[in-house]
Amino acid sequence: MTKLLEISDLTLSFKELFATTDVLHGISLSIAAGERVALVGESGSGKSVTARIILGLLQETKTAHITGDVVFEGKDISGMVRRDRARLRGTEMSMIFQDPTSSLNPTFTIGRQFIEILRRRDGNRAKADCLLRATEMLDEVSIPNPERVLASYAFQLSGGMNQRVMIAMALANQPKLLLADEPGTALDVSVQAQTLDLMRNMVTDHRTAVLFISHNLGVVREFADRVFVIYRGNIVEDGPTAAIFADPRHAYTRALMSAVPRITGAGLPEVPEVSEAFLAPQISHGDVA
Amino acid sequence: MSLLSIQNLTKTFGAGQMAVRAIDGVSFDVREGECLAIVGESGSGKTTLANMIMGILSQTSGLITFDGKPLGARRSPGQRRAIQLVQQNPLSSLNPKRSIGASVRLGLDTYNIGPKSARWNSVERALEAVGLPTEMRKRAPSALSGGQRQRVSIARALACSPRLLVLDEPTSALDVLVQARVLRLLNNLRTDLGLTYVFITHDLAVVRNIADRVAVFQSGKLVEIDDTSQIFTDPQQPYTRSLIGTVPVVDAEELTLRDKLAGQT
Repeated sequence: MTKLLEISDLTLSFKELFATTDVLHGISLSIAAGERVALVGESGSGKSVTARIILGLLQETKTAHITGDVVFEGKDISGMVRRDRARLRGTEMSMIFQDPTSSLNPTFTIGRQFIEILRRRDGNRAKADCLLRATEMLDEVSIPNPERVLASYAFQLSGGMNQRVMIAMALANQPKLLLADEPGTALDVSVQAQTLDLMRNMVTDHRTAVLFISHNLGVVREFADRVFVIYRGNIVEDGPTAAIFADPRHAYTRALMSAVPRITGAGLPEVPEVSEAFLAPQISHGDVA
Repeated sequence: MSLLSIQNLTKTFGAGQMAVRAIDGVSFDVREGECLAIVGESGSGKTTLANMIMGILSQTSGLITFDGKPLGARRSPGQRRAIQLVQQNPLSSLNPKRSIGASVRLGLDTYNIGPKSARWNSVERALEAVGLPTEMRKRAPSALSGGQRQRVSIARALACSPRLLVLDEPTSALDVLVQARVLRLLNNLRTDLGLTYVFITHDLAVVRNIADRVAVFQSGKLVEIDDTSQIFTDPQQPYTRSLIGTVPVVDAEELTLRDKLAGQT
């Protein structure tokens, strides 16, 4: 199977005045075209920095020292010149953030922001044509009355509505890879469930690959084909979603699972103690279930 | 014996055509020593209700009584002290320019609890109760992790020796391992100190394991209130069933239960 994104032995450290902080200790993961992959871990485990490296953003930071390969469609992102990396963002890869309302620009209408994004792909695209495409996309994410939404500002719309707008914008340029960093965590459960359903249908229709970053195991189980569990900058376990959930083998993955409260009500979850075993080597379930 | 009693409570925002009934004729009791969960989607009135219990908002009509006495627009210091709030986002609910200790001490000074010389001691005991080292009182909130900050919010509420804690999404901003620790802590404190909780959340899996009873809100109305075990074995209202149907679950047993409950229409 050809890989859309292949990360191998990626390390990241931040240089400070007197010390170096190692953040990623050589992680490897790959995403095939159209595949939905989840990266799961607690805060500070290195999930979001991984996304920022894939987007080519951390490479711009002087204090960040990155080694290893990030190959997207056969090209090494770290080796690219800055302009080529910038050109990929919003066209071949795009991102959805945790809080939709604060990631939309409050001073431009939704329509204006759609035009800006569509013109990243084609700088000469006519305004009317852009708005037509925007209407089409809003329609796809089941937004009633798209014309009204295009004329609105983000703060005039609800959180759930903004989340849909974000999804529509992120997919407007037909990216091959979508990075979703905790989408919907800022929304309540029922809106979150609707958003995930919608996102799943959209990426299936458009054959978009997704890297889904989350600490919510329930959401991951419902969304992803394959799961990578990350702990303190190391991948500790990976495999098809069904295999990971049916048979978590790494001590850390088991601890994560046991900390989730269950609706079947076995009482409050045990609090797993941090143990040496969390640092045990990666366990791989292979690619197929 | 009910500690907090809410009778026919209504809160209207705006006036005339634009008026919104955020809480619409709600009545229920919170029993002494219980943990009552308030669940519902955003916009269902959960936080408005919390703000009215706290006295941050005044009601349009209806009555809130605490320990048999009505809570009016002007509350006595004793009444204010007895009901404390823990908010969702521990970073924005702690003053960034105040040390942890100063934040926890504020309530003691406000309500004049204990002699001045003993107050730092009380602050340290409150920090110990939530499992934080006492040296931490000198730190700023920015030097703490999310879970530690939420413990500080809890310590601040506990320092006033309250009888009722209103917990507004206390673990929603925390990741799963930290959440498990904070939930344990809350549960132990309730037993040890004989506290009563009003626990506002949209996470039904948390509710299942911490609450004695559940009140389900939809668009400002109380649609169902019952024992937790009843809500999770035989919910009566279609809305409650649809809420349970959206819970993300992790194991097969849960999936079966969820689909069974959601499917009973």
